[in-house]
Amino acid sequence: MANGLPSTLKRFTNGILPENPVFRQILGICPTLAVTNSMDAAMTMVVAVAFVLICSNIVTSLIRNLLKPHLRILVFTLTIAAFVTIADRLLAAYVYEMSKKLGPYVPLIIVNCIIIARCEVCASRQRVVASVADALGQTVGFGLALAAIASVREILGFGTWFGLPVMPSIWPSWVIMILPPGAFLTLGLLMGGANWIGRAWRARAAAPRPAGA
Amino acid sequence: MDYVSSLILIAISTALINNMVFHWFVGNCPFIGVSRRVDMAFGMGAAVTFVVSLAAALSWVCTYFILAPGAPLTNWIWHKISPQSTAIVDLSILNYIVYIFLIAAAVQLVEMYLRKFVPSLYKAFGVYLPLITTNCVILFVCLEIMKHVSGASGPVFWDLGKALTYAAFAGIGFMLAIVIMAGIREDLDHCDVPVPLRGAAITMIIAGILALAFMGFTGMDKNLAGLLKQ
Amino acid sequence: MAPNKGYIRQAWLVLALAACFGGALAGVQASLSGRIAENRLSDTMSQVPALVSGAVRGEPDKSFGELTVYRALDASGRQVGWVLSARGQGFADVVQLLIGLDAEARTITGLYVLDQKETPGLGARIAETAWRGQFVGQSTAKPLEVVKSAPAAKGRIQAVTGATISSESVTGIVNAAVAHFRQVLAAAGEKQANG
Repeated sequence: MANGLPSTLKRFTNGILPENPVFRQILGICPTLAVTNSMDAAMTMVVAVAFVLICSNIVTSLIRNLLKPHLRILVFTLTIAAFVTIADRLLAAYVYEMSKKLGPYVPLIIVNCIIIARCEVCASRQRVVASVADALGQTVGFGLALAAIASVREILGFGTWFGLPVMPSIWPSWVIMILPPGAFLTLGLLMGGANWIGRAWRARAAAPRPAGA
Repeated sequence: MDYVSSLILIAISTALINNMVFHWFVGNCPFIGVSRRVDMAFGMGAAVTFVVSLAAALSWVCTYFILAPGAPLTNWIWHKISPQSTAIVDLSILNYIVYIFLIAAAVQLVEMYLRKFVPSLYKAFGVYLPLITTNCVILFVCLEIMKHVSGASGPVFWDLGKALTYAAFAGIGFMLAIVIMAGIREDLDHCDVPVPLRGAAITMIIAGILALAFMGFTGMDKNLAGLLKQ
Repeated sequence: MAPNKGYIRQAWLVLALAACFGGALAGVQASLSGRIAENRLSDTMSQVPALVSGAVRGEPDKSFGELTVYRALDASGRQVGWVLSARGQGFADVVQLLIGLDAEARTITGLYVLDQKETPGLGARIAETAWRGQFVGQSTAKPLEVVKSAPAAKGRIQAVTGATISSESVTGIVNAAVAHFRQVLAAAGEKQANG
């Protein structure tokens, strides 16, 4: 892009792994730990976050030229809180059981650092298309992270995936995976794994090519 | 005495048994970010406790008098505007927006107070003070209070005293968690942590073990309730 | 003067946004609040047929003061039983129950766990149909007891293995609610009989 900001495509691909909100930016940890004890709850949360992220990015991007520096955060917060309220009400109206399961973690999307960070870093500076691409990329990254953690916790803890049994019936469900300690441990180990893979990739990319290749 | 014992139950339940960090998973960002040194952690915990108590008081008052279905102030105004109407005014759709702005206002108040009266502490906090606004603990506490004030058919009603106790001890529980983690991480500096696990990953693993330890408190409030009733 | 004018001019954006969002939220409230209220109520009402045999719907009965009571009605509107909503402290957090009773409140006809946050795989098994089925057909004359092995006689509930406290909590809530309800029912019946 001419003004030094990443292009639309770059915004999208960045969100998936290089700037993954959970494993790289370490933002939005609260819902990551809280709703990942089953895949369906995790995916509903991803949909809710996607809705709020995309809508706030669009609105912020549309009004980006009117924003004054010291009113920015106020405007972002107002926008995000309004969309979270809408998302919460929609969930309560159409998927009531899931909304009860997610409980207070849907309103906590308001203070989810991912959304304010994206508004600040991208939406307030770039066109609507780039902002939407950024929101979609971050959502995919967030979804992948949550899916990874929720899969581990649900398969080991309940023996099911999306509610369907996948483990043989002799599997003694590791109840600890469903409880808070399992959440922290899974996230820590997966973060370690992601760091390890990231370092290996970067080392390979930076390694000098062998002669004659 | 009954009131005091219910306050004690709320206090112990939220500080130890349903600890904000280890049971409800809120307040993780500062938990990872600020828990490197014990003095910073203690300062952050104290600031969060103060802000959450202030924000809880403000949000209780707003919810009870203005936002809840059938709230006194809004219904009085509504009946002055249209005396024949029998409708009950329910502004609870504005709950989340009002809470987040009350929290931002509370943080702003604390910031101004510190800048004027305790400038050394203000400088020590730096950028972390405004970040308390995005601390999930405070919004979570406001939401819990909302559940207990809005007159839904499930939870028991909490008056201002119970709400403030809940908020203050939620902050104290958070402070406990972050100070313990800071103490452990200070020692961790001398340990040989595998490179991929350094930073947030090892913090999460330690938090998992701490959460396991805190699980030992489960069921304590039931026995305590029985004890206090005698 | 200039800074003040500047702030007011800058605040117009916030005010305009607030007005827009306020309107949007009012619209959402108007269109969705009916559905949400229905969802909340159907949580309880949908269980009535399973809790009292012969019942098709429930109707709130407000004459019991602080007790949340529903009359269980059959298709023709005749009352065939009662449904009580009760809550109490479980092992981890509050447990909410629906208790089905026959018309004279002499037998428990059903038990449903509306909400519980007990340990998954252990205390959470109180929500399982098999365990709750132990309450069906129990008499309400005496409080139910919890035993650890297979119960030899009526009036005893076998606890979930490894979740004695959760099982005792639920039984305690049932005993308290049923006893309180029978007391109020008896008092109301006496008042009616005495004119």
